[in-house]
Amino acid sequence: MMSGRTLVSRLAPLLACLGLLGIWQVAALFLDTDSFPTALDAIRAIPSILGDKESLINILASLRRMAIGFGVGVGVSIPLGLMMGRSRAVASFFNPLLMITYPVPKAALMPIIMLWLGVGDVAKTLVIFLGVSLPVVFHSFQGAKAVEEKMLWSGAAMGLSAAQRMIRIVLPSALPEILIGCRTGLVLALITMITSEMIARQSGAGNILFNALDMGQYDTVFAMIIIVGAMGIGLDAAFEQFRKRLVRWSEPRFDLPLSFS
Amino acid sequence: MIEIDGVSQVFQTSGRQNHLALSNISLTIQDGAFVSILGPSGCGKSTLLYIVGGFVTPSQGVARVKGKAITGPGPDRGPVFQEFALFPWKSVLGNVMYGPRQQGVTSAEAEAQSRRLIEMVGLKGFEDFYPKELSGGMKQRVALARTLAYHPAVLLMDEPFGALDAHTRTRLQNDLLNIWERDRKTVLFVTHSVEEAVFLSDKVVVMTRSPGRIKQIVDIDLPRPRRRAELLLDPHYQKYVVDIESMIDDTSEDELHP
Repeated sequence: MMSGRTLVSRLAPLLACLGLLGIWQVAALFLDTDSFPTALDAIRAIPSILGDKESLINILASLRRMAIGFGVGVGVSIPLGLMMGRSRAVASFFNPLLMITYPVPKAALMPIIMLWLGVGDVAKTLVIFLGVSLPVVFHSFQGAKAVEEKMLWSGAAMGLSAAQRMIRIVLPSALPEILIGCRTGLVLALITMITSEMIARQSGAGNILFNALDMGQYDTVFAMIIIVGAMGIGLDAAFEQFRKRLVRWSEPRFDLPLSFS
Repeated sequence: MIEIDGVSQVFQTSGRQNHLALSNISLTIQDGAFVSILGPSGCGKSTLLYIVGGFVTPSQGVARVKGKAITGPGPDRGPVFQEFALFPWKSVLGNVMYGPRQQGVTSAEAEAQSRRLIEMVGLKGFEDFYPKELSGGMKQRVALARTLAYHPAVLLMDEPFGALDAHTRTRLQNDLLNIWERDRKTVLFVTHSVEEAVFLSDKVVVMTRSPGRIKQIVDIDLPRPRRRAELLLDPHYQKYVVDIESMIDDTSEDELHP
């Protein structure tokens, strides 16, 4: 039996979304301009987008690039971050590179990357990869650096080699921190996915959005914003479930449903 | 047998100055002996233990175990740290099984052994708990079981009860003695508590502070098995405590008036 308090805290995100839509509806009715459709008009435009085969292909193409960019990004960044966290030499080699690339908006690199790789999947996936990598490297690095020395010593006394200690002690003990980085990376993947398609318009969810904007189809624009937002919430919630399952053993921390870290 | 032969340890401080932590330590520890290293904080007593563990390489001198120079950690020397250093992602059983599994013991055999050890340290019923769900005393019991599980010939205990409250500490001391009296492993035990050192040990190595030198080695000639209640009333025990305490006081005196 769910207590009243848990029920409220479970429903809170939903109530917040409904409240936001309500404010939007009132504001749009009040302003009454073409470029700002009401929430209801935007929601009504959703089925026609999701029912259209062309649009679905576009959205799936986006998600596929995002999945590849995220997967490769995580696959490269976790080992790199862990090695940086355990070796001063590796850290001092990669740190300056990361410090330079950190503040650069990854989408701003898009025009240059397009020059080299064209406007196709490779360029866009590469931008997503870059967007994902930095937070994952950073958090893996922090996580590996914080591993208790004595835990590694205990492993060494049991006969674990340096490589085994990396995989079987550093990786699991840094996992809570790594997964925080992955969660941030996932949201950044979605953002870079859309912005890359804004610049290289060829296919994808961003393509639908910005084409509709060019043609003045504002309900479609706002419908796409809702769809992208919903994808973000859905992905984040799914990832959070996965994360909690993996790090059940770590310290319990206060968390809100669908809170953004 | 453990031989520590002319070992010195120099650390570089953050100000790039050399700090002599240990100065020319020589010490022999017989098999099956319970030896405590006693000294004020900062006397390098833990460093000495880490050198025997192979976690730290001495700047000078050599440490040997069974006649072989120590070049790194190994399952013949099992550490137990003040910080417990349990694997938080493993259950109590998973932690204790880790060493035997690494040594190639089959899963079923490792589990059976580990369950027996967990019972021996008084944690039956807690096998599936994660470390975060345990108290400090329980964590240290798990850490002891985890180290005993891979059958090290030498136990290296680094202020193992230092982070525990007085009551828990006393109980763990009693339990450690009971366990030790069954198989009489060699124990090297670092502490700054005089009572603890006298109660547990065959031999107490008293160290001076900064740079760490051996001030005196005291043989504790008290009958075993030792029972706390009897020992506390034993004038011999009391004399050892008072004598050793005065040695440590002298050490501080030297420091105040160099």
